[in-house]
Amino acid sequence: MDRLYNYNASVTWFTDRHFFLLAVVGYGLSSAYSVFLWRKGFRKDDRVNYLILLAAALLHTVAMVKRGFTIAQCPVNNLYEATTFITWTIVVAYLFFGLFRKLRFVGAFASHVLLFLGVFALMPALDPPHAAKPDFANGLVSLHATLIFLAIGAFGLSAVAALMFLTEEHDLKFHKLRAIFSLLPPIQRLERVMNGLLLSGIFFLTVGLFFSPFLVKEKFGVYFKSDPLLDYSIFIWMFYLVLLVSRWKFGQGGRRFAWSTLGSFAFIILTFWGFLLLSPVHRQ
Amino acid sequence: MKFVVIGVSHHASPIELRERFAFAESHIPEQLKALLDTGIVAEAVILSTCNRVEIYAASRFEPGQVFAALKQYLLQRKENLDHPLPDEASMGIYTLSEPHSLHHLFKVASGLDSMVLGETEILGQLKTAYALAHTHRHTGAKLNKAFQRAFNVAKHIRTETNIQRGSVSVASVAVELAQKIFSALEERAVLILGAGETSEKVARALLSRGAKSLIVSNRSPERAEALAREFGGRTVPFDDWSQEFDRVDIVISSTSAPHPILDRAKLEPLMRSRKNRPLLLVDIAVPRDIDPAVNFLGNVYLYNIDDLQAIADDYLALRKEEIARCEQIIAEKARPLLEVKTSKPQLNAENAGLKAFPTGI
Repeated sequence: MDRLYNYNASVTWFTDRHFFLLAVVGYGLSSAYSVFLWRKGFRKDDRVNYLILLAAALLHTVAMVKRGFTIAQCPVNNLYEATTFITWTIVVAYLFFGLFRKLRFVGAFASHVLLFLGVFALMPALDPPHAAKPDFANGLVSLHATLIFLAIGAFGLSAVAALMFLTEEHDLKFHKLRAIFSLLPPIQRLERVMNGLLLSGIFFLTVGLFFSPFLVKEKFGVYFKSDPLLDYSIFIWMFYLVLLVSRWKFGQGGRRFAWSTLGSFAFIILTFWGFLLLSPVHRQ
Repeated sequence: MKFVVIGVSHHASPIELRERFAFAESHIPEQLKALLDTGIVAEAVILSTCNRVEIYAASRFEPGQVFAALKQYLLQRKENLDHPLPDEASMGIYTLSEPHSLHHLFKVASGLDSMVLGETEILGQLKTAYALAHTHRHTGAKLNKAFQRAFNVAKHIRTETNIQRGSVSVASVAVELAQKIFSALEERAVLILGAGETSEKVARALLSRGAKSLIVSNRSPERAEALAREFGGRTVPFDDWSQEFDRVDIVISSTSAPHPILDRAKLEPLMRSRKNRPLLLVDIAVPRDIDPAVNFLGNVYLYNIDDLQAIADDYLALRKEEIARCEQIIAEKARPLLEVKTSKPQLNAENAGLKAFPTGI
């Protein structure tokens, strides 16, 4: 308890959060540099971008290790830590695949998602001082949170695929040489990837939300309690469902589908933390 | 021992002349043997393709004497004795000695000296020519080293530069576009409207990359049937081609219609019925068959002949930009081979008691 108290008193900003902030700055730099790579049409080997993301990943790792040592346990106990963990797995996966020259271009797309997630994680409300018991100590709570994060991760990856699709589609429409010179996959494959990831996201979100009434019952003694975050999650679930159904039934594919996928994820990233703040169920 | 090259190529010699110097592959071993038997060259490789005929040789004699002898050898071949050749100056025969001969070999291997800059077919032809000479023991240390290094340089240039990237013909650009739109060409059906020469080339290129099926529609049914038969496809009457839109993914249009045969109003309902699956339209007709406004429709990708040519030209320009880099690599890679000095003095052919070239071989 004393240790946790000291951790809170030392103001996290100067410790692991400071490192994480620097890592997010790195993701931001990479995101800005990626714009130049886009303009070049991914013709050049984007080694610089890889190195920027490598540096940012190192800072990110230091931030996570410091947090882990400070709280003397695996640093996945609240929304901040879970988000930084998801971001870290994305960047590490990219660094591995980026060892292969042909796959290094993915960094130009991943950097924007990393920046988004990084900024999202830095919202102060996501990292409240640790209680004696971690937020996700309960097995059901952990499962619920994991599934929701997996859903967000799948939606995030579908947004990356959508970004790739829109870039490639724009170049093909406007007869740019870089459309065929770039290393991006065919747009039809990207559309299938988007679809598959959205389906996975919907699946994880559905199962994650399925546990909600049991958690509410455990905490408040009733199965249903009106809550802004719960209403918001149901809205997100329905929105993605409509997106998928309109694609299957009415052939709403292509650019419109990609913009909707990208826009939905941007909406989640920009609003999720706000609804979390408004949610009494998740704040107690 | 010096490495020398003599030959004719597409740069300065027309096809009428190149074919006179060409060697049939089956005759090359005996031609090489005859060449080596004279003693003027110790090692030799003959490269004979549609764009060039070259003899790569290693000799202990003065290059000037070797060139004179090799020129005589080429001019006195049976084909050239039977039919008189033009004067020597207009034949475009070139002779190269070190270091230019080595640089030339590396350039040929890398496609830098080819008619289509950066093409890769020449490397295979060069490997075959070398293997033929090597198998019959007409190469030695000098040529083995030079050719192995040439293959290595070609590989290095292919991976480190953009000289071989992209397509430089309209047909292959169309194929590359299709590969950037569709996840697998194997599942794609192609519709040809108007069976012209270029549309035939594009269809051939698409089918060679695995496109599933071909439908041909032409005002003259005989021509359509001939083309469909050649590619194993089927025909549809010209008035009914729009009914095939549900089944096709790529449309190549080259009719001689004076006005567009496909416009936005006609395509919009067709796209709805095919559930907005991507559609690649390649319009190679002049005047154009497809109204440019259809490109504003979602999932429709329209390219006309100028768009395709512009991409091919851009690719070519990009390849040309890479020439300086390639030449730098070639100079670097050739240097170690050129620095190996021989202590033996070069021989004079007149005092060496060599056999004369047999004529009419």
